[in-house]
Amino acid sequence: MSRVMVSMWGFALAATAFAAPAFAQEDPAKKTQTAKNFWGVSAEKLEYRYSDSDEELAVIEGDAYYGTDELKFRWLFAGEWEEAHNAWETLENQFVGQVPVDDFWDAKAGVRIDTPEGPDRVYGVLGLTGLAPYWFEIDTNLYISDEGDASVDFEAEYELLITNYWIVSASFESLVAFSEDQEIGVGKGLNSTEVGLRLSYDLIDRSLAPYVGVVYERKYGDTADLARDSGGSTEDWFAVVGARVMF
Amino acid sequence: MNKRLITGAFALLMPVMAWAGEYDLTVDRVTIDTGDFKKQGIGYNGASPGPVLKFKEGEDVVINVTNNLDEMTSIHWHGLILPFEQDGVPGISFPGIAPGETFTYRFPIVQAGTYWFHSHSGFQEPNGAYGAIVIEPEGREPFRYDRDYVVQLTDKHPHSGDRIMRNLKMSADYYNRQQQTVGDFFDESGEKGFVATLRDRMMWGDMRMMKADIEDVQGFTGLINGKGPEQNWTGLFKPGERVRLRFINSSAMTYFDIRIPGLKMTVVQADGNNVRPVSVDEFRIGVAETYDVIVHIRDEEAYTIFAESMGRSGYARGTLAPSEGMVAAVPELRDAPMLTMADMAGHMDHGDMDHGSMNHGAMNDDTMDHSAMNQESMNQGDMDHSAHGGGMPEDPFYASGSGLLPTASNGGKFLSYADLRAQSPLFEEREPTREIEMRLTGNMERYEWSINGIKYEDADPIVLQYGERVRFKFVNETMMTHPMHLHGMWSILDVGAGKWNPIKHVISVAPATTVYMETEVDAPGEWAFHCHLSYHAASGMFRKIVVEGGPDSSVAEGEQSGKQGGES
Amino acid sequence: MTVTKFMVTAAAMSLSAAAFGAGAHGHGHGNGAVTGEPADASEATRTVAVAMYDNYYEPEIIEVQKGEVVRFVVENHGQLVHEFNIGTPDMHEAHQAEMSMMVEHGVIQGGKINHDMMAMDMGDGHSMKHDDPNSVLLEPGQSQELIWRFSSDTNIEFACNVPGHYQAGMYGDVTIK
Repeated sequence: MSRVMVSMWGFALAATAFAAPAFAQEDPAKKTQTAKNFWGVSAEKLEYRYSDSDEELAVIEGDAYYGTDELKFRWLFAGEWEEAHNAWETLENQFVGQVPVDDFWDAKAGVRIDTPEGPDRVYGVLGLTGLAPYWFEIDTNLYISDEGDASVDFEAEYELLITNYWIVSASFESLVAFSEDQEIGVGKGLNSTEVGLRLSYDLIDRSLAPYVGVVYERKYGDTADLARDSGGSTEDWFAVVGARVMF
Repeated sequence: MNKRLITGAFALLMPVMAWAGEYDLTVDRVTIDTGDFKKQGIGYNGASPGPVLKFKEGEDVVINVTNNLDEMTSIHWHGLILPFEQDGVPGISFPGIAPGETFTYRFPIVQAGTYWFHSHSGFQEPNGAYGAIVIEPEGREPFRYDRDYVVQLTDKHPHSGDRIMRNLKMSADYYNRQQQTVGDFFDESGEKGFVATLRDRMMWGDMRMMKADIEDVQGFTGLINGKGPEQNWTGLFKPGERVRLRFINSSAMTYFDIRIPGLKMTVVQADGNNVRPVSVDEFRIGVAETYDVIVHIRDEEAYTIFAESMGRSGYARGTLAPSEGMVAAVPELRDAPMLTMADMAGHMDHGDMDHGSMNHGAMNDDTMDHSAMNQESMNQGDMDHSAHGGGMPEDPFYASGSGLLPTASNGGKFLSYADLRAQSPLFEEREPTREIEMRLTGNMERYEWSINGIKYEDADPIVLQYGERVRFKFVNETMMTHPMHLHGMWSILDVGAGKWNPIKHVISVAPATTVYMETEVDAPGEWAFHCHLSYHAASGMFRKIVVEGGPDSSVAEGEQSGKQGGES
Repeated sequence: MTVTKFMVTAAAMSLSAAAFGAGAHGHGHGNGAVTGEPADASEATRTVAVAMYDNYYEPEIIEVQKGEVVRFVVENHGQLVHEFNIGTPDMHEAHQAEMSMMVEHGVIQGGKINHDMMAMDMGDGHSMKHDDPNSVLLEPGQSQELIWRFSSDTNIEFACNVPGHYQAGMYGDVTIK
């Protein structure tokens, strides 16, 4: 699987290099008159969560990228720090290459390394991210773990402008697994959903936007059973406070 | 008369340079204070904007440019006709000016009028590296004035150019604070009904396009000659005088609608070339364009020069006054315009249709008809209106029903490209030797801009032959307005007036319109051709033009003589 | 709508022409000021050649004695239609509105005068004839004489009221001693 992917990448890169016309490299103004390489760092979520069962979590979800219009390298990180256990309940790092496949959609491919408290996992990732009609921001990925388990996550977000500075964003996340991975608490079928509603204010441009909100998390089926067995909850309401940052 | 002119020139509040043929410019780090914020930037001779360079038609100028920065720089003489090695575009005309180096530009001044200069390196121009050029003609000018002022506008932003570019790439609506809100939805529902409003939002949402996409980069402070609205640049006059205002739009991204409440403005020059005088109440100045107007001020009163940005997100303000400190009322910004489906027409064709086929052909005929009618023919104003059957004003240079169509705030005359006529033709009228189509294309969401769907980095140069007369067909398939600038050769804007078509260096193309310009290919070498919105040019709406052959080339001459004589 | 506007203008123009014909003009500002009146060639004490260019005159200042009769020989050296009109600044301003109409209705087309359009009967016997005795209207290359007695010492300018031309500076001062 991964060998196939690597060779596909290699082929794509080689094709790009050969396809570029001779002229394209001879014109030095293409360097001086074009802004080509960009980078960015942002954290979509940087928040504290208080659950209805007095659980406290610190959550971070963000990414950093470097690249061109045609190819970006992106590092995505996501983690939940549990106050009670003083430990990362989840901790993911993804390293992906991202290429446009349509006016509004990018494909991603790379690896994801999970190193939370407990067993680690490494996954291969294939994903699609972009903007759907009616302004829904979509991100969905297929993961294949080093244990051979496959799963798919799906995220959608919609922003509602109360004013041009006060923004309500509604988000939906879900995870579906095609096989059980009991060690890390993943059951077969629909694992979990998370619905969030956050009210933010753009304080400094779009670099800093503090927010408050609510999040509802629920686990289903075998996953819920696994959670109950290990003494966790299957349904949580959180009040959240945090900030969105972008540099 | 002459004496009066010279007195006027010395009355300029700008740094005045001598009439000599040799000039020195240093490129420096400076602090720009807009009144709203202070920002490190780049200037010339220690200030931004730089000095007004005063040349005389017929002189040979020598300009020594010393780079005091720690990065490469360059100066492009915007609108000047000169040998291509002197044009100042790094990578095309020359390698650029290295830190600490002095580069000497040498070229003859073969024209007169109002122009400007700016860096063509990175985002130095938005960061402050610009200044004005005033060229005195050899003979007398075809108009009279008692004094003149340069009125140089810019859209100074608190962010550096690099940062703006990066932010736009991260999120194309980063700076757009005029997006439609929930409140707008309910207001509109009240007016037009809930279902109609919802349908409207769904239609735009389906395209993933915003009606508010008029100004990509908001949050700027409009400056006149480096002064913000509060700092109020003031030009003095004596009642009874005619004052020539040389408007230059040196903005990175912003079009301005300019008026001086209480005064009619007579436009006498556009992009440095004299036009038949036309009196207006208001005019729109595209990025990098210049317009010279004459105002006749009878009363001992102050007047506000009010320049609202086209998207109404900001403004520049100055004052004309009989004495220092006098001010006039500053108008409120008008409501922000919104794009309409008419402005999206070019974009929507994209993909479903073959370009240059029916639809554009039709649009084009439409454009031509209008301008042909405007051309010195009968009854254009009134007949047009009755033909359209409504009170809505039309302008052939905007899509029919466009949300961007400007109107004068006092209900009076708003200048249109269709009003422009060359005061005296610069070239003999002849049939173009060929037509080159340039579709102006882009992807707003990704903030990628291109020509014919290809970004500069992937494009071959456009090769022209010396002696040709090329007709360029601009088809704007985006929902943004693009000021297209050809270096080194004049752009003859087709307003349907034959040999009286105005001569420009920037042609603004509104969304979903087709505009033609013709160029006499009379300058050998390599030239730049691009959208003058800084962040559009840098993201790919740019081309290199190569002019093959030259005055000595027999092939080119044969071609030229064969095609001449298309008198209108 | 169009026709009505047209007729109103035409009427206004004929009225002003009639007023001039009577040797007086009825603008409120002038306090009954009169710029003078047409005269016979034989009365002229001197000839002044006035050259029209795009868009200015040579000379731009003419000195006359009060009561003097001057024979102006006006020649259009430009590429556009120009006017030579003797009047006060207020009279010029009023005349500019009429001239705008002439351009809008195609009577003046850049470098040409459409005489058919000009003579067209607008009903009620009104037309857009430009036959005021204080003015000549010339196509490029044309030349015409105008003989004028400067019987008053009000502020007089000679001006071209083709739209935009006066505003751009196509006028000259008459200094009366």
